[in-house]
Amino acid sequence: MNDEACLSCREIERYLGEDESRVHALRGVSLDLEPSSIHAVVGPSGCGKSTLLYILGLLDPPDAGWVSIESELMSHRSDDELARRRNELIGFIFQFHFLMEDFSAQENVMIPMRRLGRWPEEVMLDRARSLLEAVDLGGKLRRPIRHLSGGEQQRVAIARALANDPRVILADEPTGNLDTANSERAFELLKNLVHRGEKALLLVTHNPGIAEACDWIHEMKDGCIIASHARGTRSSSY
Amino acid sequence: MTPPLYIALRFLTHRKRALLLSLSGVVFGVAIFICTQAQTQGFAQYFIDSTIGSNGALVVRSRFRPRYEALIVPSKSTNANAAHRFYFETISNANEIMRVSRQFSNVVSCSPVLRGTVSARAGFENATVDLFGIDPTLHLRTTDLGKELIDGNFNDFRNNTSSVIIGSKLADTLDVDPGDTVQLLSPGGDYWRFSVAAIARSGVGSIDSTRVYSHARVAQTLLRKPFAASMIIYKLRDPDRAPALASHFEELFQHLSSSWQEREQSTLQIFFTLRISAAITVSLIILLAGFGIFNVLTMTVLSKVKEIAILRSMGYRRIDISAIFLWQGALIAAVGSLLGCLLGVVLTWGVAQIPIRIRGLLYADHFVVIWDWRHYLWATLLALVAVALASYVPARRAAELPPIATLRGSSV
Repeated sequence: MNDEACLSCREIERYLGEDESRVHALRGVSLDLEPSSIHAVVGPSGCGKSTLLYILGLLDPPDAGWVSIESELMSHRSDDELARRRNELIGFIFQFHFLMEDFSAQENVMIPMRRLGRWPEEVMLDRARSLLEAVDLGGKLRRPIRHLSGGEQQRVAIARALANDPRVILADEPTGNLDTANSERAFELLKNLVHRGEKALLLVTHNPGIAEACDWIHEMKDGCIIASHARGTRSSSY
Repeated sequence: MTPPLYIALRFLTHRKRALLLSLSGVVFGVAIFICTQAQTQGFAQYFIDSTIGSNGALVVRSRFRPRYEALIVPSKSTNANAAHRFYFETISNANEIMRVSRQFSNVVSCSPVLRGTVSARAGFENATVDLFGIDPTLHLRTTDLGKELIDGNFNDFRNNTSSVIIGSKLADTLDVDPGDTVQLLSPGGDYWRFSVAAIARSGVGSIDSTRVYSHARVAQTLLRKPFAASMIIYKLRDPDRAPALASHFEELFQHLSSSWQEREQSTLQIFFTLRISAAITVSLIILLAGFGIFNVLTMTVLSKVKEIAILRSMGYRRIDISAIFLWQGALIAAVGSLLGCLLGVVLTWGVAQIPIRIRGLLYADHFVVIWDWRHYLWATLLALVAVALASYVPARRAAELPPIATLRGSSV
C-alpha cells in the first residue's frame, strides 16, 4: 500500500455477466493516485475503464484485490459504510452530467452536502454558491437544470463533485458530451481545482488532447493496464 | 429536515398530476369512510338514545323462584334445557327493590311501571295499545318522556288522573289531539274515557305506534291487577355497564332483569351489520386508493432510476433511497388523511342536511349522523396502513436498484 496515495488499488479482478456471457472485465489492475495528480485512463471501448472507475469509486465490489482510500482498506465493509466513505471522500463526474432535474443548480450542488450533514443550511448555501462561482455559474444559482446548456450542466456536475471537498475525483468521460471549447474549459477548471485542493483526479477519456494534458496516462486493453506514462514521456498516440 | 424527506418533497411536488391522483384517492377514501360511519352509527345511536330514553337502560320485572326437579332420572324425551325457574308476572315489594337499587352508584333513578295491553278507541278508530301505568314524577326523572312531548303539556297529565299521554303514531291512527277523548277497554269489557293531555314522540316506531301512559293507580284499576308494578325501569349513569348490573340485580332481587343491549339485541345487530358492511365497502375504496398509490410510486421509481443511481454515487445509502419513497407515501397519507378528514366533516354535515322522511323503525326528517372522533382516527389509520403497504414495495425496489447499470450508460 502506498501511504502517500489518496487512493490505491491492487490486483483488482472483476467478472461481469453470468454463465456463457461472463466476461473477465478486469485482470489484476493496480494503481496509485497521489495528491495533486491527474490520471487519464485510455483504451478502446469495452476494455474495462468504467468498470475500474466504479470499483475505485466503491460503487461496485471487486471479485479479488483491494481498494484503499487515505490508507484505509475498503474491503469487507458494509454497503452503508461504503456509501458513507463515498460521500466523504469521492466526487463523481459523469459524461451525461447526471444532474437531478427537479432541483436548481445550487440545490444540486447541495445534495451531497445534505447527506454529509456536516454544515448548517446557510453554510451549505454559501458553499454551493462559491463552488458555482468557481465554475463561473454564480449568476445561475437558482436556474433549473433543464434551463442550462450542456457545458453549464457539466460545470454544475464538477461543482457538485467538489461539494464535500473530496480527496478523489473520478470522472467518466467528463468532456465526452461537450464541444471542443467547452471540453477544454471543463478540463482546465478541473485541473486547477485538483492542483489547488491537493486532490487526485482519475478520468476516463477518449479525448487524446485531454489525456496528453494529464500527469499520468494509463493505457488499458482487455481488462489490463498495459502501460502507464508520465506526461511527456509517451511517444505514440493511441 | 432529513435529506430523504427533502428529496421526497421535491419529487412529489414536481409530479403534480401523479400527486393529485394519489391524494384524491386517499382524500375521498377517508372522507367517505367517515361519512358512512357517521350515518350508520348515527342512526344506531339515535335508536339507542331513543329506546333508552323511553324504556330505560335496565328493566327489572317478573319475580322468579327456582324450579326444583324431582330426584329421579329424567327420561330421554325430557328437554334438558327446560327453564329451571318459575316466573310470576308481578314485582314483589317494588319500593324495597327501588330503595336498595338506588344505593348502586350507576343508578341515577328508577320508576315503577304497571304494564298491560288494552284496546283503545277514538271516534271510529280502534287500536291495540301498550299501556304504561306510571308515577309521573318518577317517570319524568327516569326517562326522556318530558323531552319527547311534541304537543300538549306534561303538567296537564300530572294534575289529571283521568288523562293520558299517547304516542305520536298512535295519535295519528286514532286521529286525536291534546284535549280530545280516547277510550280504553278494560278486561271487564268497560270503556274508560281519558282526555289526551299530550302527545309523545320517542323516535322509535314500535313505541310511538302503541304506547299510552296513564297514572299507575288508574292503570291498576283499569287492568284489574292486584299489584301496582309489573316492572321497574332504570336510568343509569353509564348505560354501557347495564349488562353487568342487570346480572347482579337478577341474582340480588330474584327478578328477571334485562339490559337495553339484551332487549334490543336483534335491532342492534342489524345496525352493527350495516356498519361493518359499510366499513368493509369503504375500506375497499381506501385499499383501491392504496393500489393507485402503489402504481404511482412504482412509476415514479421507474422514472427516477437515473436520480437513484446519482444519489447512490453521491453516497446516499439504500435506506436513504427507500426512505425517499416511503416519505412520499407518508406525505400523501398525511396530507390526504388531513384533507379527507376535513372533507369528511363537510360531507357529514351535508348529509345531515339532506331531508329524508323516515317513518318506520325510526322517526326522522333528515339523515341522522353522529360526530365521533374515533371515525376520523380509524379512517386515518386505515389510510396510513394502506399507503404504507403501497409504498413499501416500490421503496424496496428503489433501494435495490443497482446504480452501476444506469451510470454505465453505453460504456463498459
